[in-house]
Amino acid sequence: MQFIPLLVILPLGAAFFISLAGKNKNKLCDIFSVIITFFLFALSLFFVFTTHNYTGALVYKVGGWGMPGGITLVLDGLSIFMLTIVNFIAFMVNIFSVNYMNRFSAKDKFYALFMLMVGGMNGVVITGDIFNLFVFYEIASIASYALVAFGTEKEELEASLKYTIIGVVGSLCILLAIAFLYAYTSTLNMANIASAIAQNGINSVIAFVSVLFIAGFGIKSAIVPFHAWLPDAHPAAPAPISAMLSGIFIKSLGIYTLCRIFYNVFGMNSGISQLFMFLGALSIIVGGLLALGQNDIKRLLGYSSVSQVGYIILGLGIGSPLAITGALLHLFNHSAFKSLLFLNSGAIEYATGTRDLEKLGGLRTKMPTTSATSLAASMSISGIPPFAGFFSKLLIIAACIKSGYVGYGILAIVGAILTISYILKFQKYTFFGQLKEINKNIREVPIFMKSSMIALSIICIFGAVLMMPKIADYFLKPAQESLTRGMKYSDLVTQALYEK
Amino acid sequence: MDFRNMFIFDPLSKLIGVFIVLFTVLISIYSAKFIKHRKITYYIWVLLTALASFGVIFSDNLILITIFWGFLGLSLFKLINLYDDEKASAIAKKTFIIIGATDGFLLFGFLLYHFLTSSMSLSANKLIINNNLSFISFIFIAMACFAKAGCMPLHTWIPETAKNAPLPVVAYLPASLDKLLGIYLLVRIVKDSFFLDVTAKFTLIIIGAITVICAVMMALIQHDIKKLLGYHAISQVGYMVLGIGCATPLGIAAGLFHMINHAIYKCCLFLDAGNVENETGTSELHNLGGLARYMPITFITFMVAAFSISGVPPFNGFVSKWMIYQGLSDFMNSLSSYPLKIIVALSLLSALVGSGLTLASFLKVISSVFLGNARKHAKESSFALLLPVIILALLCIIFGVFAYSTILKFITQAIGSFNMVGLWQPVGATALIAISIVIGLIVFKFSSQKLRVSDTYTGGEELNPKEEAKIEDFYATISEIPFLKKIYSLAEAKVFDIYEELKRIIFVLSNVLKRLHNGILPTYLTWCLIGIMGLFFVFFR
Repeated sequence: MQFIPLLVILPLGAAFFISLAGKNKNKLCDIFSVIITFFLFALSLFFVFTTHNYTGALVYKVGGWGMPGGITLVLDGLSIFMLTIVNFIAFMVNIFSVNYMNRFSAKDKFYALFMLMVGGMNGVVITGDIFNLFVFYEIASIASYALVAFGTEKEELEASLKYTIIGVVGSLCILLAIAFLYAYTSTLNMANIASAIAQNGINSVIAFVSVLFIAGFGIKSAIVPFHAWLPDAHPAAPAPISAMLSGIFIKSLGIYTLCRIFYNVFGMNSGISQLFMFLGALSIIVGGLLALGQNDIKRLLGYSSVSQVGYIILGLGIGSPLAITGALLHLFNHSAFKSLLFLNSGAIEYATGTRDLEKLGGLRTKMPTTSATSLAASMSISGIPPFAGFFSKLLIIAACIKSGYVGYGILAIVGAILTISYILKFQKYTFFGQLKEINKNIREVPIFMKSSMIALSIICIFGAVLMMPKIADYFLKPAQESLTRGMKYSDLVTQALYEK
Repeated sequence: MDFRNMFIFDPLSKLIGVFIVLFTVLISIYSAKFIKHRKITYYIWVLLTALASFGVIFSDNLILITIFWGFLGLSLFKLINLYDDEKASAIAKKTFIIIGATDGFLLFGFLLYHFLTSSMSLSANKLIINNNLSFISFIFIAMACFAKAGCMPLHTWIPETAKNAPLPVVAYLPASLDKLLGIYLLVRIVKDSFFLDVTAKFTLIIIGAITVICAVMMALIQHDIKKLLGYHAISQVGYMVLGIGCATPLGIAAGLFHMINHAIYKCCLFLDAGNVENETGTSELHNLGGLARYMPITFITFMVAAFSISGVPPFNGFVSKWMIYQGLSDFMNSLSSYPLKIIVALSLLSALVGSGLTLASFLKVISSVFLGNARKHAKESSFALLLPVIILALLCIIFGVFAYSTILKFITQAIGSFNMVGLWQPVGATALIAISIVIGLIVFKFSSQKLRVSDTYTGGEELNPKEEAKIEDFYATISEIPFLKKIYSLAEAKVFDIYEELKRIIFVLSNVLKRLHNGILPTYLTWCLIGIMGLFFVFFR
């Protein structure tokens, strides 16, 4: 338990160290940052294996101050689930960057910002204090604004500007909401807020705060109609950062926070549940339709993220244990396959210098690893059995039917058809068909890029093992239970605090 | 999890299993000579396809079937895409989208079935179709069967695939294995999972009848032998669906029997077409001719298979079509309302007419490819390419002449016993046919006049005396008939292609949305504002 703060301290310290000592020492930056992200990943796995049979939560008091004054760090099933995903993808992306970021200058600045972003995301996931959450949220966001502009070309700067402004609107919504909440409950600790709300009941203040939270976090998780920044920002960033943004950033900062607040702090009710389902289905269809019309690989994938996040929101809206399991599994799968697809797009850009679908084609024989791994990711995102994405969509659709929302189930199927259409468009125009003359001399990407793509593709193929009864007890079930437990979160944290 | 209840080994799945093995072995023999590059990839995917097919037929668990079934879409995609070919990759995409979409509907149908019957097995208890949900469940599952087998309106991937994909792949998947699986699942759900109501039965029958007649009309005007065979592969599915739509033991058995026959002769036809293309380098009818004297075995096997598909006695296609006609007429007699009777009668009529048109179109193929003046010189294919077609042609004859003592025994075991009023005695009839041919030969031997000069047969076309008869344009005149001309030109523009139509609609929607995403920041901020206002409305109304 005394290791919990390391999850934040390490990356923040690494960011500090790299920006001090890393200038012009690319090798050192590579090795140091890979070691740090690997250690973070190992630490999250350690938490997975030590806490799975412990039904409560792990609480750490920062500086020894307890509730309600001090800041607490809380690890429950959901936090550990998110931590593992975040640090795993960060580790993979970091390995990929070792080769890929040679295209850019100032690798040390990249790593410093990257570490800042990882630290911010880890902080958001483990904190038990809502204002602290906002601080970490801003750390991660500001790092991401800078990373989107990392290429410093016209396109990147424009995208970053848009992203920053819309992001700031979201942050202000959240800050305002936190201020109202503090005025109303006189505490910033989420467990205390939850018990205060449980005593006072839902009233118009809470409704107002809910609106602000949905809008604020909705902007980060790119729910339609708050999604418009995403297809500009994600493609503009360097490929590893696109993978981070689409793979984990929108989830840890958007979906995780929505889950935490609406399941554990405010408590779900049928109104919010209906709203989530509606927004989820809307995102699925709108994102899918827009993705189909794109010719830039990364824009296509960006809109596809909007669509796939819709599935997660739909599952969370239904709210039955089956649906939540499906949504969380889809969250996990999406982080694997969407990161992989963005890394693939990076590999294609690395080899050919373009990501315009119409200038590509027939790369299968030239880039066998990229082609095979992207096929695995594509099949997983389109929900083709036996790839992992099939099972999460299966659970979500099954939950739709079981809970009586047949219409939403059909929309989810339509979304899956749109998914397979746009992903095959991507596959056909890049890997199949005739090789273009200008691409005759391209080569497969270097070893580190290959190895991280292969590792992620294995997750895309076998990700469904997480559903297996014994394995689910370690990872998926604790996360699902910490959501279905709902408002009992507050008792759990309080209990954990006074136990020792 | 209990794994014992997840599999089923009843006569039906065993019967299909035998044919999966047969086709896999024959195609593997054929491909050993035919496939020249990327052999390892090819064989890996063929084997995976065979394994997944076994998975489909021997599973009795909804999720397990969906998994294997969905995997087959991927293997088909990979096999069509075997070579870096622009056209093949385009059609592979279309195929996979159609198959993948219907897989989604299959999953939805299965899940609905599961929640309506609370069983994970397809054969545990029968669901009575009596409300919207059960009907949706049935239709969604049937849609997946239609797409896989190639029944209208989800057939549009077959003709193009037949033309552009590597030939053994066409003979293996769309021609035989996909039929086996698609019709297997349809038979399984009609037999074991649902009690069909009148609406469901008539949906199937009408779809079947339309498929038979429309696909054969399209086949008539084709110029490419592989595309023509592709349209026949659609038309014949109509017969199977017609039979199964009756939902009587006779009808289901007839549909199943016809499917097995179809897989045999269509595989044989495609492989023969492959032999022709392999030797001459073209599959366009107007470049071919007079191949009978160069490729006698290919010619004979092609003719046997063509007679079978056209339903000429004593070959196997006739027996199963005869059973389908009987199934339909029995079903018609069991109905009480006259409008329904008329629909069935019309379907029966379309089946009969379709059979005649099939013969007509094969007349064209045989005469333009194998008869007439030789336009290309060729030699007979090697043994590995001939062995599969010989075996398949023999099966056509055996299942025709000895239908009752061979294949129908197993079908009866699989479906249950049935009575037929009009009994067809194939052995006796074949003997009569053989005797009459022998007598004819004897008369020919002893008659004085050996040759009779007559006009060239032109399929009823008017012939320009200066030109050589263009056999490939035999039925071009039907596409000149005013009403049909309109329909053909619409069909050429892919108006009846449900995939292209939906694609058009979706791209219109996509373009509207794209126009809204104009990249201007104030617009995006406005949406956020509208979103927030919407949320306020929801929370404070």
